[in-house]
Amino acid sequence: MKTNRPNLSITLGAVMAAATFITLTQLPPAATAKPSDGSNTASAAQWSVQVDKVNPGEVELSSSFQIAIYESLLNELSKTRQFKQVLRDGDHNASGVSDLLILKTTVEKYSAGSETKRAVTTVAGATKLTVRSQLCSRDGQVILDQTVNGNVRFFGSNLRATHNLAHNIAKTIKQASLPEPSSSAGTRASTNAN
Amino acid sequence: MNHTSIQKGEAQHSSSLIVRLALVLPTLLIWCSTAAIAQTSGGSGSLTAPFSMRVTHLLGFENAKNNANGTLSIQNTALQFQQNGQAAVQIEIASVQDAFLGEQSKQVGGVPMTLGKAAAPFGGGRVVSLFAHKKYDTVTLEYVDANGGLHGAIFQLKKGQGEVLRKELAAKGAHISNADDKLPKQSNAEVTNENK
Repeated sequence: MKTNRPNLSITLGAVMAAATFITLTQLPPAATAKPSDGSNTASAAQWSVQVDKVNPGEVELSSSFQIAIYESLLNELSKTRQFKQVLRDGDHNASGVSDLLILKTTVEKYSAGSETKRAVTTVAGATKLTVRSQLCSRDGQVILDQTVNGNVRFFGSNLRATHNLAHNIAKTIKQASLPEPSSSAGTRASTNAN
Repeated sequence: MNHTSIQKGEAQHSSSLIVRLALVLPTLLIWCSTAAIAQTSGGSGSLTAPFSMRVTHLLGFENAKNNANGTLSIQNTALQFQQNGQAAVQIEIASVQDAFLGEQSKQVGGVPMTLGKAAAPFGGGRVVSLFAHKKYDTVTLEYVDANGGLHGAIFQLKKGQGEVLRKELAAKGAHISNADDKLPKQSNAEVTNENK
C-alpha cells in the first residue's frame, strides 16, 4: 500500500500537468476586439483584402457560426499584417482601393459535435469545419484556392472551431506566394526602364 | 323588565355592528390603496423602465471585449453593451440588419472546473461533466457601420431571453426577418450528424 501512494500522486500530478498543458494550448486568445478594418503597418507592395460574408453552401450552418467565422477571419487577417487594409463586406471604401483581393469562404463540411460529449468521452463529439477559401481579384480571377479545416477535439466550446478555422485560413494565405500588386509591379517596371 | 332586556340587546347589536364596520372599512381601504399603488407602479414601470438584461458578449460587438459579461440595454435608438465597470459601447438599432436565435449547451465552471475534473480519480470528472452543463440562448446580430461594412456580434443569454431581445429589437425598428419565428428546433451545439 505504501508504495502505491507515491505512484498515485505521481500519476495525478502527470494527469494535472497534461490537462493544464492541453487547456492552455486550447484556451481562446486574449480578447482582441480591435477594429479590424483599420490599417496595418504596411510596406509599399501590399494588397488589401475584403472579406466576404461566409457562404454556407449546401450545409446547414447556423448564423452564429457564419458570423463567428467572418469576424474571426477579419481579426486573424489583421493580425498577420500581410495586408495593407482588411475591409469588411459591403464597405464603400473598397471601391477606392487599387490593389484589392476578395476573400470568399464557402462551407463544404460541418459536424456540429458536442462540448458535453467531448468532456465525457474525450474522443467523441469533435466539432469539425471544412471550408473552401478563395482569394480573387476584382475581375474574378482566382489567385488562391485552398480547402482549410478547423476543429475542436478536446476542450473548448463549439464556436472555438471558427477561431481555429480562421487562424488556419490566415496561416495558409500567409504561406502562399501571392503575385505582386499591379501598382507596385508598374512602379518596378518604370524604375527598371529608367 | 322585558322592555329593558330588549333595549340592552339592541344596544349590543348596534355596538357589534359598529365594531365590525370599524374593522372592515380600514381593511377595504388598505386593500384598495395597495391595489392602486401596485397598478400605478406596474404601469409606469412597463412604460418607462429601459430594456436591459445580463448577457455575455461572445464576439464581434463594436470595441467590446470577447467573452465579457455585462448589461445589454436599449437606450432610445441605441443598443448598448456595458461591461462591468467599463465604458459602454453602442450601435444604432436602425443599423441592425438581422437577428438570429440559437441555442447552445456549454460546460460550466471554466478552466478551474476542467482541471478539477481532469484531476478527479477513477474517471469521476467525466461523471461530473455529464451534469455540469447548461443550456443558453444565443442571439446573433448583423449590423452595418457608417461605411456600409458588415459586422456581426454574438451574445449569450439565459435560456428564454433570446426571443425577448429579438422582439424588443424588432419593436424598436431593427430590420429582422421572420421576427415571429421561434427558436430553431435543431440545436447549434448538440447536432451529431455530419452535414454533406
